[in-house]
Amino acid sequence: MAAPCAQEIRILLFAGLREQAGWAEQQWPADPNGASTLTPRQLWSMLQLPGDLDRQVRVAINRQFADADTPLRPGDELAFLPPISGG
Amino acid sequence: MQLRIDLHSTSFEPLVALARWQEERQQSGISNNAAEAVFVGRVRGVAADRCELEALELEHYPGMTEQQLEQLALDCCQRHGVNSCLVQHRIGRVLPGEAIVLVAIGADRRGPAQRCCQELLEALKHDAPFWKREWRADGSSEWLTGNTPL
Repeated sequence: MAAPCAQEIRILLFAGLREQAGWAEQQWPADPNGASTLTPRQLWSMLQLPGDLDRQVRVAINRQFADADTPLRPGDELAFLPPISGG
Repeated sequence: MQLRIDLHSTSFEPLVALARWQEERQQSGISNNAAEAVFVGRVRGVAADRCELEALELEHYPGMTEQQLEQLALDCCQRHGVNSCLVQHRIGRVLPGEAIVLVAIGADRRGPAQRCCQELLEALKHDAPFWKREWRADGSSEWLTGNTPL
């Protein structure tokens, strides 16, 4: 995966969610001054992603689980993770 | 605490991985564990809908999966006060009968070893970003949206 641009938010989808949405990765412009805060929940809505964010999807910011209402910063890597099934 | 975690993109033999883990401990001068608990998970020959399974595909989140496995293992091993931990996990296409996961815990007593092994297995099933897709013999496939019951 390519490194995120410092002025953008890199958004990743995985597994069934990626296939439902029809894309794996997008760059979203971020406010370099941080004047307007953007959250994963807002991006989920703006990107019109399928399913219920609160019930079916977990959020990771910079490869750490995070709350969907966490403010995003330029350069962040945001991932929407469908239900996990490891092991 | 000695920790070893590997993701394998091709099949691995759990007994060989265990033997190598033992050798590494001996070479690094770590004393033998009085108790060891081991779990090996293998791919079933049937899909969730009971149809014949051709293969299981395992996707992961490069970077986060490794990081999360390490954090889960460190937290769990610290809670139970164990000496050593081995986690081997497959990614990619896995065939029925092949090993998908190996968790081994070394400790001074059987209680902590067994409890830590079970707890870590459950943690990685629910909190390490892996996704399973079942490929059936007729060419159809489906992403799983959860784990099998304990």
